[in-house]
Amino acid sequence: VNVPTDRLDYSNEVRHRFEHAPRHGRLFAKPEELLSGSAGETQQGVRVEFEARIRQGRIVECRFRAYGCPHVIAAASWVAEQAEGRRVGDTDWLKPRDLAALLEAPAHKLGSLLVVEDALRACLGATGAPR
Amino acid sequence: MTDNPRPLYFDYAATTPVDERVLACMVECLGRDGCFANPASSSHALGREARARVEAARREVAEVLGAGPTEIIWTSGATESNNLAIKGAARFHADRGRHIVTSRTEHKAVLDTCRQLEKEGWQVSYVRPGPGGVVSVAEIEPALRPDTVLVSVMLVNNEIGTINEAGPIGALCHERGVLFHVDAAQGIGKLPVNVDEIGADLLSVSGHKAYGPKGIGALYLRGSPKNRLEPLIHGGGHEWGMRSGTLATHQIVGIGAAFRLAAAEQAAESARLGALRERLWEGIRGLGGVHLNGDPVRRVAGVLNVSFEGVEGESLLFALRELAISSGSACTSASHEASYVLRALGRDDQLAQSSLRFSLGRYSTAREVDEAIGLVREQVSRLRALGPVGAGGLQHGREAM
Repeated sequence: VNVPTDRLDYSNEVRHRFEHAPRHGRLFAKPEELLSGSAGETQQGVRVEFEARIRQGRIVECRFRAYGCPHVIAAASWVAEQAEGRRVGDTDWLKPRDLAALLEAPAHKLGSLLVVEDALRACLGATGAPR
Repeated sequence: MTDNPRPLYFDYAATTPVDERVLACMVECLGRDGCFANPASSSHALGREARARVEAARREVAEVLGAGPTEIIWTSGATESNNLAIKGAARFHADRGRHIVTSRTEHKAVLDTCRQLEKEGWQVSYVRPGPGGVVSVAEIEPALRPDTVLVSVMLVNNEIGTINEAGPIGALCHERGVLFHVDAAQGIGKLPVNVDEIGADLLSVSGHKAYGPKGIGALYLRGSPKNRLEPLIHGGGHEWGMRSGTLATHQIVGIGAAFRLAAAEQAAESARLGALRERLWEGIRGLGGVHLNGDPVRRVAGVLNVSFEGVEGESLLFALRELAISSGSACTSASHEASYVLRALGRDDQLAQSSLRFSLGRYSTAREVDEAIGLVREQVSRLRALGPVGAGGLQHGREAM
């Protein structure tokens, strides 16, 4: 019987995104098409950065970089993926409690997931954002 | 990466498997044809036979510690030994004073016991360790007061493997007429442990840290049974009335055999593990941004505690789940509070939280070490690449603290 022996229990969604980190990286875009923003501090255990390429008010591409637990990395990956194709001003779809449920994150991780939300809002609400 | 159902074991400081030779001795005391009788049943031969095995083991443990057999009290493990030593001594000598000195880097079995005594009216001074995490006379002496009754300092720190200067502290305590307790759970089999050289009045040991079974330990009490402690467990008057309860013959035989083997093989094993630890350190440090925690010289052979810049502790531990290692990260708690030992040494939150303790032991091999090096290099590099630019601010090179 193949019994998992790691004491850290993560959902398959978290495991997949932690291992493969889809949408991780940086964007190289014209300055007028690029938005970026971040939230959190490494000293506090969580820091997330997003970059988004914007055309005609829509997010064409989104990338993340993250310092944090596997839930944070998975959440940033999922958010970057879901952001693509949406209008810049539309962030109502991002609800940390729903994200926690999707990732099967324990209650004490909600604070870390709020940092992911803050980072995306900081990115999309950046001063001089192209619309 | 797949979840390995059997990770490579690098957590010998947490516990060890029972040595086959120890197991063979223990099995002799379990079955109906074996030495299973109650050692307190002096009315029949089977009971007296069990008692003989218990006393033989007591002599084995005493010999390893340089003590007399009557100075060894059986307990359930080092946690109970620490409780009995600290609470028992403090309560028994309460008329002499109500002040205790210990260090901030002690095991929770000592710290929580002291916290309990604080609730009962004792005062406790928790001293910071010196450079490299070593606790010495320089830290203890200023904390002593006329009403100090007990000093408690561990022999080897369980997280960083640093060896404290127990001998000089013991001499200081005797000079001042203060009892000296040493938690030596991490010392057996790793360095010679002699109660007279240490100057210990009380010394705690555990079976399972030295390839013996869990659930058995001992407390050395200088001058026992003449010198006494206030017991924690009553009922039957076993162990000269200081620790009641039916003696677990198989466990006691196990700790006796384990200590005898550990002491006999200690010198050769320390040399072998020291070489493996250096191989591991040299393999990992090449990553850059890796910090050695603890004193680089004054430490036991099998422990390597390191912190990584630019990686988060919980992710690091999960990424390295093919290795059975300990982390300074408080992964499963609501707070990000990291190792209190590393924080007491002055490590910042990020480095304390991203620390790993590799502890090698009797069954560690060079092949396992090489596999661990490869995995650590791969996963630390991957996690650093995932992180924000400049996270952790890499400062390459070795640094001891």
